[in-house]
Amino acid sequence: MQNQHPHPLKAEARNLSFYYGGEVKALKGISMPIYEHQVTALIGPSGCGKSTFLRCFNRMHDLYPGNRYEGEIAFLPDNTNLLGADVDPIEVRMRIGMVFQKPNPFPKSIYENVAYGLRVRGERNRRMLDDKVEHALKGAALWEEVKDRLNDLAFNLSGGQQQRLCIARALATDPELLLFDEPTSALDPIATASIEELVHELKKRVSILIVTHNMQQAARVSDHTAYMYLGDLIEFGKTDDIFIKPKDKRTEDYITGRMG
Amino acid sequence: MEKQDIATIRAIIARGKRWDVIFAIVGILFLAVGLLTVLALVTNMALEGAGRLSLDFFTSFPSRRAAQAGILSAWVGSLLVMIVTAFAAVPIGVAAGVYLEEYAKRNWVTDIIEINISNLAGVPSIVYGLLALGIFVYQFGLGQSILTAGLTLALLILPIVIVSTREAIRAIPGLIREGSMALGATKWQTCRYHILPYSLPGIMTGVIIGMARAIGETAPIITIGALTFIAFLPPIPGVDPGAGPFDWLTSPFTVMPIQIFNWTSRPEAAFQENAGAAGLILVGMTLAMNGLAIWLRYRLRRNLKW
Amino acid sequence: MNENAHISQLFDQELERLRTSVLQMGGMVEAQISLATDAYIDADMAIVNTVVENDKRVNELEKAIDDDCIHIVAKRQPTASDLRLIMSVSKIVTDLERVGDEAKKIAKGVRRICERGPMSMLSNATNVAHLGKEATELLRRALDAFARLDCEAATAVIRDDENLDREFKAIVRQLVTYMMEDPRTISGVLDVITIARAIERIGDHAKNVAEQVVYIVEGRDIRHLDKENPA
Repeated sequence: MQNQHPHPLKAEARNLSFYYGGEVKALKGISMPIYEHQVTALIGPSGCGKSTFLRCFNRMHDLYPGNRYEGEIAFLPDNTNLLGADVDPIEVRMRIGMVFQKPNPFPKSIYENVAYGLRVRGERNRRMLDDKVEHALKGAALWEEVKDRLNDLAFNLSGGQQQRLCIARALATDPELLLFDEPTSALDPIATASIEELVHELKKRVSILIVTHNMQQAARVSDHTAYMYLGDLIEFGKTDDIFIKPKDKRTEDYITGRMG
Repeated sequence: MEKQDIATIRAIIARGKRWDVIFAIVGILFLAVGLLTVLALVTNMALEGAGRLSLDFFTSFPSRRAAQAGILSAWVGSLLVMIVTAFAAVPIGVAAGVYLEEYAKRNWVTDIIEINISNLAGVPSIVYGLLALGIFVYQFGLGQSILTAGLTLALLILPIVIVSTREAIRAIPGLIREGSMALGATKWQTCRYHILPYSLPGIMTGVIIGMARAIGETAPIITIGALTFIAFLPPIPGVDPGAGPFDWLTSPFTVMPIQIFNWTSRPEAAFQENAGAAGLILVGMTLAMNGLAIWLRYRLRRNLKW
Repeated sequence: MNENAHISQLFDQELERLRTSVLQMGGMVEAQISLATDAYIDADMAIVNTVVENDKRVNELEKAIDDDCIHIVAKRQPTASDLRLIMSVSKIVTDLERVGDEAKKIAKGVRRICERGPMSMLSNATNVAHLGKEATELLRRALDAFARLDCEAATAVIRDDENLDREFKAIVRQLVTYMMEDPRTISGVLDVITIARAIERIGDHAKNVAEQVVYIVEGRDIRHLDKENPA
């Protein structure tokens, strides 16, 4: 598609369909751009397929039997099709990170949590690990709070800190794209605000795709927004446009609270 | 609110509370029955046999003379058999559990396997004895040895280990597994760094409980031919001359339950004392093992806050 | 526009109350212009005082509606068409309040003319009265377009304001010739010009209201566009 946008493309979904258990069609031919160093938000009512769509990007659906993809997701600059049968999902997950809805730190120390992604890639050099862990924790705005207790159990952190730890963990491996699956729905407003602030900072480093059921969050945090409903992409556009002057009545109905 | 309403509500609450009290009392009674029965048995044994407990008892071989009879060969035999059982059951059971939970596809084949494993746990132990007799003793020619006993008991507790492993793995939240995979880990890396370490408490508990059961199994051991009068120890490598490192595996042996059984079938009262004492020790060992399981579980579970 | 109801009935009621208040204020200022024009035609001081007095109520209503707007923003975080509606209402209400002020200016102008003494009714009394009726009509149409959220009607109002401007300029030209002919009439004529200018401004405010209606319906901001630089 003709890209007049000043930001280059990072990824592009092309006619992406998805079937749960091979039969239930959860995504219906979605085509959508993801711009580099931009935050793209996915909004829509429960069951619209936004999380399903998100999890296609890092092949999480492969972990469960019976799921089937159709169409492709082009990942740039090398134009790899993330869904290709010849593409190793593990390789995909090494380039694309994910932060989950409920903070899920491992029952290990803070250091080990962040270092895990690096260990999995065979990094053993202690100095390198230390550096990268520090860099990642700084990137997640958590370093100052934990630098003196890196060997503490991650579970001793507060909810907001745990989520930032999970973000640091994902950042440690320098992903190109970060997927956020409703990252603040389990957090209080202050922790939520600090994560949103963080997302804004992070987009200088990575491209971000975020699913949220909180429309105001999408409005605050994203540059582009996609509205989905029952597996279809209804409207995609600049966030400002969507929230002030949406083109599709269904989008308007959803964001003004006229639709249940 | 009218006063009448409050009164009615209070009457309803009072009625409900009465049932609370009734149930609590009934529960305690039944609990007491169970506990008191166990206590009675143990006390009975203690009264009979506590007098016989002494260092001599532990370090003497069985003898036709009751006063000189001891459980040395029996408890050494039990210990060695347990070692073999552990070494056989744990790797096989854990690996099987991990494979079934993590790697196997969910289809009708694995469903049947799952049902059968649970069923195996209910198979009478004597059947294991017969199985072992036919396969280990005669087919493989392992003889009536510690190795055979260990393998037999390993088969016996294998279902327990597999089920404990699976349950322990299932207790790990899916979010942790997804978290690991999302970072680009392979299935094995996820297993090695997360699944196994976090399921360890559950696995250990299952293993120890299984062994606590195995230590008291008599029927299969008798079937494969443990002898009842062993007045020697298996060859200890490095101590006995000419003893190879694994010779003890093929040695004839006896175990605690068999020794107890042997003594109870003797008419002399003194032997009943011996049996009581040995029984006390066996119960003690079992309780100790269960206690160890509980303590280990507590220690290892401390860090797993989910 | 969006006819569907919000999931929150209270929100719908709040918006409905807001719309009603705006129309109520519109009705109030329309009445003010009417009265002021009548005062001019009949040189009636009693009406003049009524108009000046009523303006207080117009101002109160502006404050009340602005207050409602800010409450809705704080409470509901409106988006899309709801957001455009609230923002526009705030602006419309400002324009209506200014219309009220212009009506008061007309009334005060009439008072000054009367105080100067009963003057010979200038022949342009009917011209100015006609201008006044036109302006009232323009405002009424603009408010009607708001009530029905009718974009076409709004665009027509914006167009017709030019007629009003032309008529105003014609009246001023005529009045200037009077002043040149007879310098004794200058003070009186200046007062009339003031009244006419107030009426012309009312037309401009009506145009502003119509521009807001277009923004509410279509999201297009068409203010400050002139003939040389159309949308």
